[in-house]
Amino acid sequence: MEQMKLEIITPNGMIFDGEVKQVNLPGSEGEFGVLAGHATLVSTLDTGVIVIDKEDGTELAVAINSGYVKVEEDKTTCIVDGAVALSGSDSELSKALEEAKELLKSAETSNTAIAAAVSKVEHIGKSF
Amino acid sequence: MANLKEIKRKIGSVKNTQKTTNAMKLVSSAKLKRTEELAKRSRVYAAKLTELLNEIARKMQQTNTNGIDNIYFREVDELQKVDIVFITADKGLCGGFNAQTIKRANHLIETFREKNVKVRLRAIGRKGIDYFKFNGIELNDEVIGLSSAPDFKKASEFISEVADSYANGDTDKIILIHNGYVNMITQEVREDQILPVDTPKLELNNVSTSELEVEPDDDDTLLNALVKRYIEYTMYYSLIDSLAAEHSARMQAMDAATKNAKEMVKTLQVKYNKARQESITTELIEIISGMESMK
Repeated sequence: MEQMKLEIITPNGMIFDGEVKQVNLPGSEGEFGVLAGHATLVSTLDTGVIVIDKEDGTELAVAINSGYVKVEEDKTTCIVDGAVALSGSDSELSKALEEAKELLKSAETSNTAIAAAVSKVEHIGKSF
Repeated sequence: MANLKEIKRKIGSVKNTQKTTNAMKLVSSAKLKRTEELAKRSRVYAAKLTELLNEIARKMQQTNTNGIDNIYFREVDELQKVDIVFITADKGLCGGFNAQTIKRANHLIETFREKNVKVRLRAIGRKGIDYFKFNGIELNDEVIGLSSAPDFKKASEFISEVADSYANGDTDKIILIHNGYVNMITQEVREDQILPVDTPKLELNNVSTSELEVEPDDDDTLLNALVKRYIEYTMYYSLIDSLAAEHSARMQAMDAATKNAKEMVKTLQVKYNKARQESITTELIEIISGMESMK
């Protein structure tokens, strides 16, 4: 499967930079998935979870509060205000989950969006 | 003899000062490293954000024949009111760092006053606030603590308020002055126009061939949100930049102070030795002449 480049940038630095198969983004007009070769698009991102299908087949979830995404044919750039990557060993993961929930709850969006994102984070936490 | 003692005391005190300035220099250099790292990391974000803003603005300019019709991009024909935001340090002992920023701010105020433009000042950092208060110049905003510990949330809260007054029409232009970091030994006063967005600076002439789809399908909403983020980030980045410059300026000042103290100890030591020799000579003469008279 074709790969594309994904960058996730926060004010505190780049938290993801690499080749991916697919990425699911929480757009403000609804969630959408991006594969390589997608049409050029700019969208705002809402509070939610970015799910990345990495090239080695593993999944990575990143909780974000808000931001923007620019999709190009071979490159996707997410510019977000705050993000927590849900990965690592068990102890690190549970800490990351807590941090992610904190981050989501502090976001200034509708309660439903936050609740949806929090439940999604919890679901990811269980599936690991 | 009293002179000898005094010189010795002086040497001790200068040496103490030297120790303090040297320690301050070390602290500043450590802090500078950390701030530099912070600046480096956030530079990527700033670059990407500007790129995105460029692209949207470019798209709007292409679809709109009379330029970008957005409040944040509208240049007024006749400037009447200007807001100047300037960043100084909370602490002194950093050479001419604060004085330079204040000088530039003063200069800018003069130029605007000559053109009959009303100027409002918003100060961040204790040193700038103290200066303008002492000179009886009114400040619209006084923020202490933000320049020594930049915080994205606080910075964006502050600049949002300023941006709101722009959107309300209370001000026509917002200018940000800060003393920026160039390298370890140089700082440079930077003047940025925050609002309206400086379109020539955005290099809108580069024609992009790609069709850009926008979601939500309303350029204005997206642009407004982007501009807001853009100015918030410019503010935050300026604070970091200013902090890095402050540390490098302090490092330099403390380095110079340490060197001066060293020099001073040297001259004092020479003086001390001379005084000691003198007193020995005097004593010798006294003894010899005493012996001579005994003969």
